[in-house]
Amino acid sequence: MLTRRQFGSLIALTSLSVSLPQFLAAAPAPQAITFAIESEPTTLNPHLNGQAKARVVLRNLYDSLLARDEKGGYLPWLAQSYEASADGLTFDFHLRPGVNFHNGEALDAAALVVNFEHLRDPAYAANLAAGPASHLVKAEAIAPLHLRLTLAKPYAPFLGFAAGVDILAPSAYRSEQLKSGGPEVAGSGPFLIDTIAKGQEIRLRRNPDYAWAPANAEHQGPAYLEAVTFRILPESAVRVGALQSGQVDAIEGISGNDVALFRDDEGFSYISAFNTGTPYTLFLNSQSGPTAEQAVRKALRAAIDIPAVLQSIYRGERQRAWGISSPIEADLYDPAIENAWAFDPAEANRLLDEAGWTERDAAGLRAKNGTPLVIRIVQAQATVRDQRDVLLLALQAQARQNAGIQLELDYVDAGSYAERRKLGDYGSIPNSRTPADDGIDIEYHYLPLDEGGSVNYARVADPQVKAWLTQAAATSDLAARHALYAKVQDFVLREQGYALPIYVPEDQIAARADLTGLRFRPYFQQPDSLHGVRFDSEVAG
Amino acid sequence: MSVAAASVRPGGGPAHKALARKVLGRIASGVVVLWAAITLAFLSVQIAPGDIVDIIVGDQIPTPAVAAAIRAEWGLDQPVIVQYFSYLGRVVQGDFGRSYMLQADVGPLLLSQVWPTLKLTMAGVLVAVVFALSMALLTARRPVAGRVASGIELFLVSTPSFWLGIVLLYVFSFTLKIFPVAGDRSLSALVLPALALGLSLGAVLGQVLRQSLERALEEPFALTVKSWGVTEATLRLRHALRHAAIPSVTLAGWLIGGLLSGTVITEQVFGRPGLGRITVDAVLSKDIPVILATAILSAAIYVTMSTIVDLLYLLLDPRLRRGGK
Repeated sequence: MLTRRQFGSLIALTSLSVSLPQFLAAAPAPQAITFAIESEPTTLNPHLNGQAKARVVLRNLYDSLLARDEKGGYLPWLAQSYEASADGLTFDFHLRPGVNFHNGEALDAAALVVNFEHLRDPAYAANLAAGPASHLVKAEAIAPLHLRLTLAKPYAPFLGFAAGVDILAPSAYRSEQLKSGGPEVAGSGPFLIDTIAKGQEIRLRRNPDYAWAPANAEHQGPAYLEAVTFRILPESAVRVGALQSGQVDAIEGISGNDVALFRDDEGFSYISAFNTGTPYTLFLNSQSGPTAEQAVRKALRAAIDIPAVLQSIYRGERQRAWGISSPIEADLYDPAIENAWAFDPAEANRLLDEAGWTERDAAGLRAKNGTPLVIRIVQAQATVRDQRDVLLLALQAQARQNAGIQLELDYVDAGSYAERRKLGDYGSIPNSRTPADDGIDIEYHYLPLDEGGSVNYARVADPQVKAWLTQAAATSDLAARHALYAKVQDFVLREQGYALPIYVPEDQIAARADLTGLRFRPYFQQPDSLHGVRFDSEVAG
Repeated sequence: MSVAAASVRPGGGPAHKALARKVLGRIASGVVVLWAAITLAFLSVQIAPGDIVDIIVGDQIPTPAVAAAIRAEWGLDQPVIVQYFSYLGRVVQGDFGRSYMLQADVGPLLLSQVWPTLKLTMAGVLVAVVFALSMALLTARRPVAGRVASGIELFLVSTPSFWLGIVLLYVFSFTLKIFPVAGDRSLSALVLPALALGLSLGAVLGQVLRQSLERALEEPFALTVKSWGVTEATLRLRHALRHAAIPSVTLAGWLIGGLLSGTVITEQVFGRPGLGRITVDAVLSKDIPVILATAILSAAIYVTMSTIVDLLYLLLDPRLRRGGK
């Protein structure tokens, strides 16, 4: 039986051999494009939307205070400059003059105060209010274009949050559309919302007054394109076919099997970028079940040949992950972790034998004192994407064949997931997270559960880890932070095996070849706004 | 079905009374069914695992202040029984609450999705009926043709609509470029989804209809009618079809009611808006206001469908129209 995804790939592959007429002949350059995307944004309010996949739309509508360069340094955007006080408690932003929101309101210090006051309110954006914004005690307008933010105690990741948060027009907070997002939730970005057809498409049109692109943008004026339609096509094979037949101009979310269709065809362009944040990782419950034993955790990682699995499922189009953060986050990631353990079935079996998991049933699965060696992997059905269901099946087969470990796969609804997660009723939760947030994500994963470890699926409660993370958050010395995160990484992964990183998720964009300027944001690595995108008649299909 | 109405018509009075009684009875029982649907849906989401606050908080930090803000915002700080009655009260006034996940009012949200789904369903049913009628009428009691048709129908019934949808898209949209890939923008965009949805439904109906048609054609009345000298076509269309239609109409009503949830895959493949996708997403994320509203809506659709089916019986079978025993 073929799964739906496999079938989709099959169709896409078949089309390799069928010569499709190309629609890319030189025509009068159109000023509008259609961009097919995989996921519909739940809400268009950027503060309430937690979907990494929604950024491709939202980035066009809203601007932020500062942009980032490749290395994470700060560049002017809505703020021309900033200063951080020596004690790490205040941040001053000097705003660019002459910036207006889509509805004509002026973007000044007073408007930013309105934004930051709301971000602190749990009734508005609970996640931000309890997270990075909880460190903020005061936002004030010192002068019309001078904003000052004051913290309770030094918190290094705050600057990244404040610089990157999307800025809304003050009137947005009084709108009926505030929570769902919509045209009334105005921003200052290069595009604004034209129409929304729920379940089908979101149309944007150009902001003709735009003249405040980030310092590293391709140009400063209004966007080249007059209009952009984001059409929602959830099926990967359908997006691929729509682009190949010229019915859309660009698509995102391309499965490993389909990449070659666009990368190897002159009629199309293809770009991809690793996501920042936490790689796709099996977090192993360190408090209950077999995974509470270090030997079992280390045996599992020795039993799985990750490169072979990735090759067979993604055709080598996904890179193996090793760390607690993405390898592209140079300011956080320590490559010393790479190859710190190896695929070694003999070692896996030795560890399990020593730990007393010596009984075997008819199928060769191990047990100890009558308790079978079962690790229950719990995943919310709604979060399965990027062929991860197939990936987990492959991991399951490896663990069983190589070491007699049974991985049981439980796909559950959101309610069961929330409950089992809260009670710790699982052997492993696999997950990835894609923010670009200066290490906040590492805190969420490895601080104790009741002290900010909101996604501490491994249930790590180690005072040493907490101390390292707290120190890292309090210092603005980048080298010192890097060293502290390296210690955390070495301890939780190499020494304890609390988590097993699998692969680095990535974003992919394919487009007709004459559409130029599509790119990923420096540092954040998410799809950038379409501000610099245009048709280039020189590039013929 | 004008063919059916053209024949023997008994006295009008009792028939109208019977009709009125039937419709009134239907409305009354419909209200009860709706109330039961709301209550059952409300109960089952309460019993289902997982605290709503935990789900809404998701991966975020569940501080007491955040939890309290969420409880207050969604009225979850009230006892369940109070939540139930206040929900009933608001539903009566047409207020279906706000979606936890989509952050939008559920009433307008669902309303905006009813028409696309209804369009798709109606087009799918049209495809199904035309397909079933032509297959059955042309091939009943014709051994070779019947076997071929039966094979085609079996193939369509056992074809997943996802697969059929992709194949239709691949052939007619990506390669031949006759129909656009997706969306709810023009009539031509409706053709492929309607085929994907309607063909398997039509295949089921066609099988049932052919069998009952064959049975009808074997009955003595068929011979009688034939002895009047009518053509084979007239026999099939005017006489046998009416005898054969009742099981198919029953089945069709039931299947169409189920199409509401059946459209989800078609909507997904063709990138169409509609109720199916919203419903599935809501169930997966335990978005209670949306789940309850779709439960009410589907109960309403089932009630409407079964009423229409009952009325069709009256139209098809004069014996039921006489009113009383």
